[in-house]
Amino acid sequence: MSDVKVQKAMKQHMGLTASRRISNTAIYIVLTIMSVIWLIPFVCIVLQSFRVESTWQVGYVIPRQWGWDNYVNLAKTDFWRWYTNTFILAILTAALQTIIVLCMSYTLSRFRFKMRKPLMKLMLVLGLFPGMMTMIILYRVLADLGLTQKNSIPGLLLVYVASSGMGYYVSKGFFDTISKSLDEAARVDGANRFKVLVKIILPMSKPIVIYTVLTAFMGPWGDFVFARYISMGTSAGKNVAVGMYDWLSQDQIGKNYTMFCAGGVLVALPVTLLFLFLQRYYVEGVTNGAVKG
Amino acid sequence: MKKLISLVLALVMLVAMAAVGGVAEGFADSYDITVWVPEEIKELTAQQIDTFNNTNQFGIKFNPTIEAVSEAVAADNMVNDVEAGGDIFCFPQDQFARLLRAKALDELTEVFAEKVAAENDANSIAAAKSGDVFYAYPLTSDNGYFMYYDKSVIPEEDIDSLEALIADCEAAQKYFAFELQTSSWYLASFFFGTGCVSEWVTDDDGTFVKVRDTFNSPEGLIAAKGIEKLVKSPFHLSSSKADSFESNAAIVVTGIWDYELAKQILGDNLGVADLPSFTVDGEEYHIGSFKGSKLMGVKPGNDVYRQAAMHFLAQYLTSEECQLQRFELKGWGPSNLADQELDAVKNHPGLAALKAQDPYSVPQGQIHGSWWGIAQVIADDIKLATDEAGLQAALDKYLDKINELFTLDNTALLFVGAWNGWNNADTSKTYYLAPKADGSYVLTLDVPESGYMGGRVVNPGSWDTDKGFAQVTEGADLIKDLGADNPDNNIVFAEPGNYTITWDGEAFTIVKN
Amino acid sequence: MKRYSDLEYLRLSKLQKFLYRLGSFLCSIPVAVWHGIKKLGLAIWGFIKGIGLSVAEVVTTFKYGSKPTRLSYFIMGAGCFAHGQILRGILFLLFEAVFVFYMITTGSYWLSMLPSLGILGPTEEKKLIPELGMSVKTTVYHDNSFKIMLYGVLTIFFIIAFIYTWWVNIRQSKTAEKILASGKKLKSGKDDLRSLVDDSFHKTLLALPMTGIIVFTVMPIVFMMLVAFTNYDGSHNGYSNNLFHWVGLDNFNTMLSWTSNTGAGTQSYAATFGEVLTWTLIWAFFATFTNYFLGMMVAMAINKKGIRFKKGWRTILVMTIAIPQFISLLYVSKMFAKNGLINNFLIDMKWIETALPFFEKASWARVTVILINIWIGIPYLMLTATGILMNIPQDLYESAKIDGASGWQQYSKITLPYMLFVTGPYLLTQFTGNMNNFNVIFLLTGGAPNNPAASNSAGTVGYTDLLITWLFKITTGAESQYYLASVVGIMVFVVVALITLVAYSLLPSIKNEEDFQ
Repeated sequence: MSDVKVQKAMKQHMGLTASRRISNTAIYIVLTIMSVIWLIPFVCIVLQSFRVESTWQVGYVIPRQWGWDNYVNLAKTDFWRWYTNTFILAILTAALQTIIVLCMSYTLSRFRFKMRKPLMKLMLVLGLFPGMMTMIILYRVLADLGLTQKNSIPGLLLVYVASSGMGYYVSKGFFDTISKSLDEAARVDGANRFKVLVKIILPMSKPIVIYTVLTAFMGPWGDFVFARYISMGTSAGKNVAVGMYDWLSQDQIGKNYTMFCAGGVLVALPVTLLFLFLQRYYVEGVTNGAVKG
Repeated sequence: MKKLISLVLALVMLVAMAAVGGVAEGFADSYDITVWVPEEIKELTAQQIDTFNNTNQFGIKFNPTIEAVSEAVAADNMVNDVEAGGDIFCFPQDQFARLLRAKALDELTEVFAEKVAAENDANSIAAAKSGDVFYAYPLTSDNGYFMYYDKSVIPEEDIDSLEALIADCEAAQKYFAFELQTSSWYLASFFFGTGCVSEWVTDDDGTFVKVRDTFNSPEGLIAAKGIEKLVKSPFHLSSSKADSFESNAAIVVTGIWDYELAKQILGDNLGVADLPSFTVDGEEYHIGSFKGSKLMGVKPGNDVYRQAAMHFLAQYLTSEECQLQRFELKGWGPSNLADQELDAVKNHPGLAALKAQDPYSVPQGQIHGSWWGIAQVIADDIKLATDEAGLQAALDKYLDKINELFTLDNTALLFVGAWNGWNNADTSKTYYLAPKADGSYVLTLDVPESGYMGGRVVNPGSWDTDKGFAQVTEGADLIKDLGADNPDNNIVFAEPGNYTITWDGEAFTIVKN
Repeated sequence: MKRYSDLEYLRLSKLQKFLYRLGSFLCSIPVAVWHGIKKLGLAIWGFIKGIGLSVAEVVTTFKYGSKPTRLSYFIMGAGCFAHGQILRGILFLLFEAVFVFYMITTGSYWLSMLPSLGILGPTEEKKLIPELGMSVKTTVYHDNSFKIMLYGVLTIFFIIAFIYTWWVNIRQSKTAEKILASGKKLKSGKDDLRSLVDDSFHKTLLALPMTGIIVFTVMPIVFMMLVAFTNYDGSHNGYSNNLFHWVGLDNFNTMLSWTSNTGAGTQSYAATFGEVLTWTLIWAFFATFTNYFLGMMVAMAINKKGIRFKKGWRTILVMTIAIPQFISLLYVSKMFAKNGLINNFLIDMKWIETALPFFEKASWARVTVILINIWIGIPYLMLTATGILMNIPQDLYESAKIDGASGWQQYSKITLPYMLFVTGPYLLTQFTGNMNNFNVIFLLTGGAPNNPAASNSAGTVGYTDLLITWLFKITTGAESQYYLASVVGIMVFVVVALITLVAYSLLPSIKNEEDFQ
């Protein structure tokens, strides 16, 4: 290689790093701006929750007086009851929904039976109906079962879990990526289908299990339309979203707004923490799963 | 006078009680009930029920579950499922018709109705009634709105003029909050200010049968011009929340419930006043308002003693004593006449402003639930309009939608008369046959002296000829038989006077009164 | 449309190529719809034929079958008992007993009331309390239209299930005889149980999820559709005021008629539906694709070599997922209000004189909700895209680099096609999901600003209302027009289903499901 050529190559290389540096700087700037935009609402909500000089909405962000009053005041309301309701609901939903979703998706991914395609088509069609109208009907059904008002939490659990089989897409996609030869090898060795699932597939499915648990766990925290309909004005049967949503009504917002923010922070806490620790699995799960859908 | 009546009534009741020995045998040991009240009076209500348990002369005991349910939500919930709803609940007046139609309100019989009629102001009484029957207990008489303003921005001398207020706000770059675009309740104020009406009539079941609405009249156009002034200002804010003062508002039009909040935000700078006037073509119009009540209802049921017990409780919870407690604790303006005479009530600044607005306000009465949605968009339309024709078009469109509500129901029966120009569309010129429980329809009308006193019964908007002369079975002597000169089968009265017409589905009975 | 051969196609310019592809896409829509309808028709025909054959089989079996088989026609499980399959026999017999018991005790009542949906509404009576000398009104409730509809339809489902089981019972007896005749052994109860974790393991796994779906998804949808044929609304709630009844196709006539009731100023339901649908489609398109491309770009930026704190950036963005939307979106909507933080800040900075009409003007509001939706959607897309990008074989890029491809070329020739191919179905679910994205619109604008022309007695309609929020408004509006909401619900389904049908017949990556395994 002649000197000229080497020099040229070096120049190119240096040009490349220079341009990469410029583009990386640009990316850092964009990401920083984005982070600020993405964080502003949360920072604001957190700041509001520590504001003690007034309890209503204000036109500034930084509190003039800081304190824990809003968090302390939460204990004077039914907040912790709603919080416990939601927490229990979320844990049970996460557990049961994961079982249902895994059963469904594993079956549809691994077994080939006559009704498989029609079933998948049926569920696709069902998913296209807007859920809003069935709300009234579900209310009537649950009311008939005595699972509304003060018993709404079991009622909600039933509805969440029962219809969760529809959301099998992502985890089916994940199972599709696990090679079938593993199953077949085990089957040849005399393991039955159940053993294959428990001994071979599940240990490999940590990401998708965690992904499913996480999404199922998050759901109940934000349901303020259906849960509100089901609880029908009974405090004991409210989830935290419904209870807090009422604080925003005309007659309460002046008194309870900062408390609403404090409650919001506490609601966001478990989900955020889970996300922080399990993010890696979530990404893996959604990646391998959603791709296939 | 009214005080006297209530005193007499109380005495009569006392005597009656003494006569039967005071305690009624039929009441159960205790009743489990659910009570829905707004969050702020939850504790107070618990105390009040406790007091009732200990003091009522019938020995009724309640074991209440008190839930914090705000008034509007309570009405929604009751309509969704009466069965699961609260046994006693509070609701705003505008939900009355809806609740009545859902049969979520139990009728107030005899003593209950008499007491309500005797002790409360006329508006709240009208709010609790459908036809002649009471279905709810007045809880407050403060459901109106007035103006809150920031004294540091708005000079005292400007508070009577809308134009001056808008100018002040624009100069100070502050907002004038008046919820015209998202709430018909506030929007109607301008129309009432110019003398427009929207009067709705229900039958005994709470079904709307008739409306007289003049929002598209020349007076309505004047109101629209007033609204235009405000909504086209860049510093108009469509909101009725007192916390707007925190974010750049100088004026907020809202009700008494925001008084404490506004006081806390503005402190000594808080001013309250009746609504201002606006000027169109040199003429001044004081902005009107709705004047309404909050009510308490009792859910229907099949246990006669339980129902009676709950009525006694509701009666107590809306009594002079309890209304005063709510005023003292939360500033709720009482509907009770005796309470209204108290100095503390009279001197409350917010209630004083409401009182100042009183002469310009219109009793809310009963309004069709759909009206709130239909009227809501007028202000949006006015904002989009570029000229007077646009304003008029907005109002005409509104009236079309109102008419749609009524032509939709083509089972109603109307009597149309020649003396009213055979108008079958304008509800003010037709006579409505009120449906009765036995399936018949009854109308009492005055037939004025005129050359041809003919008319017949039609469905709204139609010209049917199947309900007329040929169908009159009783009272045929009161009408003329014109034979072939009557191709449209009209009922032609022989002489003017007051008649009662009954239609049983196949035939008419006509009686002269 | 002219079809090009491959060679001709390659000779076209870029623009021509694009137009050609677009054209062939549009042309294929009617064909795809037609295929869909044809398939549906064939499926229905196949179903009817299947039933006919089964009936014929049942009849012939009864004529020529053995005694136990013929006995199974009346006593279910008789065949199983005769052939020694005790467990199956007991189950069949039990099912029959339950069915007969149910039909006699309650089923027949619900079924008989179904055509009328109830006869007697609530009755009121004033009753005297003698010791108080006053009377109080009492109300007694009787029929409940909703329960009648619910249990009536459930009974029909039950009958269908019974007939099916009855048919299975006969068939099993028949096949059992054949198997025995050929000298083989029948499955014992133990074998049956064992197969539940092996050969029939899928049945075990699906039993619970499918029961749930049938009861809490299929049934409600069936009822929802039935409501569209009744006059169920606030004035006819079926229990406390008036009973509701079947009204045939009346509601569809109201909804689909283009002429409004009074003419002049008011708009027909059909026109309103069209207007809301148009915006819903525009919204779904932008909400899906802005998120898709921006999310992908963010993912690529974070994944780029040399960018540090990858996990940190991701975590910050993912916070939006972790906080419930009713908290974050309500706050954001307040920020954008006329007197909200953003406007006040801009005015204080003297950058603007008067507030920006974020939610005040139709076009502003529409753009604002799409922009805010980016804020919500990017994190999800970023996560998904991150994984997919990692999966793209790196040697593709290496060889591209050697060939001297620029960054843009690498993106448009490798990354984008790969992403599009792999995420096709995902995009589709995103699209339909956005069409029904209730939370974002409800919490941000509630549909505002009002659309004066489209609003009618069924309720106010706003410029940012989606079909789903409109449906919500109808349901919860003053008149509680459930029947109308139901009609709208069905129409939403039809639209979404058409889109899905077309997309599915066009997308390449769905057809060959097995290719990935």
